[in-house]
Amino acid sequence: MNSIRLIAAKETGELLGSGRGLGWLITLAVVLSAFSLLLVGSTELSLLDNAQAVYMVMGTITALGGLLAVVVGSDAIAGERERGTLVPLLLTPVSSTGIVLGKMGAQLAAWVAAYVVALPYLWAVGSSGQNLGAAVLYLALFGTPLVIGFGFYALGLSARLGNVRNAMLVALITLILAASPLVLGPSLRQSGIGKMFDAVNPFSAALNAFDSVVIDSDPFGMQIGRLGVVLAWLAVTALFARASARRLEGT
Amino acid sequence: MLVEVRDLKLSIGPVPILQGVRLGMDAGDIYGLLGPNGAGKSTTLSVLTGLRRAGSGAVNVLGLDPATQAQALRRRIGVLSEDSGFYGWMKARDYLRFMSSLYGLDLPAQQIEAQLERVGLPGASAHPVGAFSRGMKQRLGLARALLHKPELLILDEPTNGLDPRGRREIHDLLIDLSQHHGVGILLCTHLLDDVDRLCNRIGIIADGRSVVEGSLADLLATRTGAGRYRLRLRGDPPLPAALPEGVTLIASEGEWMHVALPANADPGQVWAALLAAGWDLVEIHNESGGLEDFYLDLTHKELTS
Repeated sequence: MNSIRLIAAKETGELLGSGRGLGWLITLAVVLSAFSLLLVGSTELSLLDNAQAVYMVMGTITALGGLLAVVVGSDAIAGERERGTLVPLLLTPVSSTGIVLGKMGAQLAAWVAAYVVALPYLWAVGSSGQNLGAAVLYLALFGTPLVIGFGFYALGLSARLGNVRNAMLVALITLILAASPLVLGPSLRQSGIGKMFDAVNPFSAALNAFDSVVIDSDPFGMQIGRLGVVLAWLAVTALFARASARRLEGT
Repeated sequence: MLVEVRDLKLSIGPVPILQGVRLGMDAGDIYGLLGPNGAGKSTTLSVLTGLRRAGSGAVNVLGLDPATQAQALRRRIGVLSEDSGFYGWMKARDYLRFMSSLYGLDLPAQQIEAQLERVGLPGASAHPVGAFSRGMKQRLGLARALLHKPELLILDEPTNGLDPRGRREIHDLLIDLSQHHGVGILLCTHLLDDVDRLCNRIGIIADGRSVVEGSLADLLATRTGAGRYRLRLRGDPPLPAALPEGVTLIASEGEWMHVALPANADPGQVWAALLAAGWDLVEIHNESGGLEDFYLDLTHKELTS
């Protein structure tokens, strides 16, 4: 447990304490600033009701969190291998599962940082409405397992493919596919294929939960199935990452 | 035995990489693992450290099976791999502190400084590792391998990138570890000078097979022409009667004398005896070619057979 904490602390320092981490957070702030400005300043978008605007910001934050997880996860194992730092780490008494969990601890810290940066924007567009509290809560409840799941998935690919570029490409394509409901029109999502895709897609489950809670003010009981899909995604990707990391040693 | 490997075989996909490697060393031994590029040396080391599983054969390191007891084994071995990387953004002391913490150690700053000084990096603790030269990184890698006081050191090309003085310092450190602390050292290198100076046992691998394995002195002694030396003297050649027992004078050409030593003779002792007997030795050449010729002969034979 201690070694997981040590690796997580080292990775967090590298991720958030470096220029790269700072760059990420500034980029996130700039994107959210531009998006929030558009929501309140654009003639058409400013006509959206408050809940709709909050829903759109929640979706954007979740997508950006997923993007951050994919980029960091793709580098987690393959990047260390390419820089020659993986073997010294594997030759310590820390298990490969411990290394994966340590790295995911850093990803969790990065997501928490992104979440904290996003809160003022959520407040800026949603403070005049009634569902800001629910938005903050549901973004954490659904966003965290979804984003961490993408981190596990990218990390697993990173371990299997052994190459940052390939791992990032596959993980990004998956993320874009999963996040496609953000850009698909309602009619496409109501089609047979769209409904089937929505039923198994964790990103859709999170977006539908945001929609249901923030726009329709539905109770938590209606979100349990959706939360199940997101948690299943987290569990499957965690197992995938663990199995992939175990291939690193004793093969 | 500290390390015992018998008939180790391993394939990666359909390609056989190791086809019968043997290796044996005890505590305090410095074992040189030699072989041409692609012979299987690094793969053998990765099996010994548990990074790869053997296809067949027996592998025992410190009484443990690396395939099933890797984590326990890694607490007791120190490894410097050939392509070892570092977190360049960390300071040397922070890097060593982080790596030692993964072994459950909480080393005080003085101990970290002492470790850096031991490998020839005094005053470098506050420098970022990314600014280190290749030789400095090799030294830091060695410091990392020694952090937890391992019983066995596995070093892949440890003197790569070091200047002659640096090589000599690392040689002295390894000799000290072996002779005074009983650490077994398994050395994988292309530098036969390192082997000649450090190792008491060697194993040569060619094409995934052990070609030869055993005591370096015994192996060189069995070679045809072993024990023949050419000596350059200052002043008049002494009388052959002054030669130590068993040493034969073969020929004399001006200031050069050709002598043969018995198979069990320690050359160092013979030279000391000659000096004591009035032989003013200026140069000594091993006419049997030494380790380099031995290595080239064996690997050539194996690759052409």
